Amino acid sequence: MSVAQEPAAGPAAIQRRGRFRPGDAILYVVTCAAALTGVVLLGLITHEVLTQAWPAMQKFGLGFLTTQAWGDKGNTLFGAKSFIFGTVVTSFGALLLATPISLAIALFLSELAPRWIRSVVAPLVELLAAIPSVVLGLWGILVLGPFITGTLGPAIHGTLGWVPIFSTKPTVGSNMFAAILILTIMIIPIVSSICRELFVSVPAELKDGALALGATRWEVVRGVVFPYARAGIAAALILGLGRALGEAIAVTQVIGNRVAINKSLFDPGDTLASRIAGQYQGADTALQVASLVYLAVILLVFSLIANLAAQLIVRRVAGRHQV
Amino acid sequence: MSANAPTADLFRSERMRRRRIVNRLVEGAATVAALLAVALLVIVVSSVVRQGWSAINVDFFTKTPAIYTGFGPRPASGISSAIIGTLIIIGIALVMALPVGVLTAIYLNELAPRKLASVLTLAFDVLNGIPAIVLGIFVFIFVVVGHGQAAWKASFALAILMVPMIARSTQEVLAVVPASMREASLALGAAKWRTTLSVVLPQAVGGIVTGATLATARAAGETAPLLFTSALYSDSVSYDPRQPIASIPMFIFTSAEQADPVLHQQAWGAAAVLIGIILIASLIARWFADRSVRRLKGER
Amino acid sequence: MKAFVTRRKRPLAVLSVLTVAIATAVAISVGGAQARSSADELKGAGATFPAPLIAAWQQKYEAAKGVKVSYNPIGSGGGISAISNKTVDFGASDAPMTPDQFKSCGGCVELPWALSATAVMYNLPGLPNNLHITGPIIAGIYLGQIKKWNDPKIKAVNKGVNLPSLDVTPVYRSDSSGTSFNFTTYLNTVSRQWKSQIGRGTTVNWPAGVGARGSSGVSGVVSRTQGAVGYADIAYSLKNHLKFFSVQNRAKKFARPGLAGIKAAAQADRKFNPQSNELSIVNPPGSPRFAKAYPICTYTYVILRMQSDKANLLKPFVTWALTSGQQYGPALIFQPIPKYVVIRGKATLKKVHS
Repeated sequence: MSVAQEPAAGPAAIQRRGRFRPGDAILYVVTCAAALTGVVLLGLITHEVLTQAWPAMQKFGLGFLTTQAWGDKGNTLFGAKSFIFGTVVTSFGALLLATPISLAIALFLSELAPRWIRSVVAPLVELLAAIPSVVLGLWGILVLGPFITGTLGPAIHGTLGWVPIFSTKPTVGSNMFAAILILTIMIIPIVSSICRELFVSVPAELKDGALALGATRWEVVRGVVFPYARAGIAAALILGLGRALGEAIAVTQVIGNRVAINKSLFDPGDTLASRIAGQYQGADTALQVASLVYLAVILLVFSLIANLAAQLIVRRVAGRHQV
Repeated sequence: MSANAPTADLFRSERMRRRRIVNRLVEGAATVAALLAVALLVIVVSSVVRQGWSAINVDFFTKTPAIYTGFGPRPASGISSAIIGTLIIIGIALVMALPVGVLTAIYLNELAPRKLASVLTLAFDVLNGIPAIVLGIFVFIFVVVGHGQAAWKASFALAILMVPMIARSTQEVLAVVPASMREASLALGAAKWRTTLSVVLPQAVGGIVTGATLATARAAGETAPLLFTSALYSDSVSYDPRQPIASIPMFIFTSAEQADPVLHQQAWGAAAVLIGIILIASLIARWFADRSVRRLKGER
Repeated sequence: MKAFVTRRKRPLAVLSVLTVAIATAVAISVGGAQARSSADELKGAGATFPAPLIAAWQQKYEAAKGVKVSYNPIGSGGGISAISNKTVDFGASDAPMTPDQFKSCGGCVELPWALSATAVMYNLPGLPNNLHITGPIIAGIYLGQIKKWNDPKIKAVNKGVNLPSLDVTPVYRSDSSGTSFNFTTYLNTVSRQWKSQIGRGTTVNWPAGVGARGSSGVSGVVSRTQGAVGYADIAYSLKNHLKFFSVQNRAKKFARPGLAGIKAAAQADRKFNPQSNELSIVNPPGSPRFAKAYPICTYTYVILRMQSDKANLLKPFVTWALTSGQQYGPALIFQPIPKYVVIRGKATLKKVHS
């Protein structure tokens, strides 16, 4: 313990003085190893997936993304175009439907509802998030599908049939519209619970100030809450989008598994995740397997972008509001 | 006020009235939206309960799935092997994920330098966002190809899913443990590891249990990883973790797409059981969360 | 004080960890007990087409010989990849393996072990069973050219039937399917446009309609969708009470996918492909011998590794399936395989050793 070696005496210096505890080192090593598994797994996943997809990436290159084909030319031509289209349409369509509903729910639970309603409705909305996707898919096949072909589809087609996205009448319960509805049900609880926490965390004095100036509740929300929580809302929406992008099971149960780019939402289609789920087990040629993993690579890129964007927004907001 | 500028009064109340109407409309829309969400939940859960009720009987919980070829009398069947299979798979996943999650949280919260902690936390958050189907493919490539499917491989995939959730929940509760406790323990001469294990960690048990049960609830419903690691459609019954075993989500998935109405009913029944399991797990998690928050708040 | 809290919480934590650990240990040991019996078990995976017959075989074989056979119907493609990846003891496929697939399998043999027909099922409430249809019409439907049930072409072969103005929804297999292989092989022979535009395979680019997983998935969609038409092994049609077409064969007769139709069609090919033992009996010629033949029949094959640890269990099982097992076929509309196929199968089986 020579004092001459010590740098300026701070808390770290105080800790360094004293006996060496092997227990400390063991704890450090063990927990550090555990914490590194996250990074290790991320690296492993990326590596394995890229390696498996490599034969297809080599053969098709980036043209894979613009080719609409699957198993053409004697099971030699594969392309992701229709699945990228399906993924984008279903995810963004669901986000479009879910955004106003989720924001409204978050507002209701944070601003409008009396305490007793809040304590009843909030757990119910969270419960919606707890319904497994396979159960939603089951409901989609047996309840929503017949409802779309029997009632909802003809009604929408009858009144809005001139709009391209509703231009055909749904004959089968499995179509893009059903997938969009199911994904909407999945996104709503995620976005609304995050937004609700955001709205609650808006400083009361900002809201009170607006109210004192004579603003109505809605004007407080529009003028104070939304601008304050803007970034957080964006992050919540992106997280919801990420969930929708990656959903494989419920979508593959209700979307109709068609390799096609159709204008109408009442036609079947397919998404990246759904095609992987449907075909992976039965893929019988190496090229087909590699093409499916190539789809997974594309899906991984999409969801990584969405996830990182949301995380970065959250971190920047958290840093700003630390003041 | 005096009767000056009656027109000004009119303007004010006119605009005020419009603003109030808009306010009412928005409040109404928000209420409708919340009711819509509740209605959706009620519709889905009531479908499950209503349809599944007829399938639930003693046989359902005691017999195993049977393949019915359509000829001859239908054998009695149930989902007992699927229920046990799900419990086994989740159990092994929990044993894999819990230590890793808790140790990770300890490192990130107590021991790591700040910069490293934020990078590693980001890594786990990104891991959390990877779609389950990609995890399934990864585990398939990593351990299944060449060796065969197995229940523990399904557990491995689910554990990857669960670790970020457990780590985050444990981190949150570790952060709430007051610094004064740690300092007091260190001041008394206890080593850092002793402090962490005997003083800090016991305080965090509530949060750990919350995180574990929430992660379990989520993993219980995941189907995509099971497709690649433990997909058993046939009626053979196995509880060996080194073989693929039946599970409730796979049962629902395969029964839903068939044409047999009896299988549909059993799928609804299995969905009811699954939702029941998840509901119980969520309630336990919430109870523990409330309890530990109350305890920690009380200690202050 | 704080010490009290710590002491009270610790038993809880220890208890919960112990419970989980004990439960898992129990589960693993119970599972381990089962593991001892897996030495007497054969694992298979593959086509959904023969799944009904294999299900019957599983029961009867275990009762007769005490050996458990488990079968995972994940589609022909899945069967081929499973046996290539050595994750099962035997694979099953309706599609014969290509030379490339034999190469990736690395030392596999294939032989036909069951024989049945692919029914074309339809959902038209109120209409009789066994309506008439021709190959070109089926191709037209699956090409998306024939869109309504009261299309003149369909009416022409179903005089007197009141066909509704309902949309036709063709249903196909979205997964890699030997039944698709059989069906598209047939369409290749009846439609030049299909042959040049789409071709045949276990996975093709279906131009119209909706996809479903497995023969059960196709049956499921057809049963739920009015106006739908789909293809699957005849056993699925019967099991789910779905109506199926009588398809016109080359002898210009409308034949049903029954045992007589399959038996007549099986005469069409006696020459085995040297590598895969394929026998192609799709759309037999129009001579009087094939007057009763149903044009969309197929053999279905079992794939084995030539070197297998389970050879001493596999060979008796496959031999039994080729011989005694065939008697359970007719109830499920699987026609017992002809003698020369049994002989060939046994000869191929000799190549399997441990």
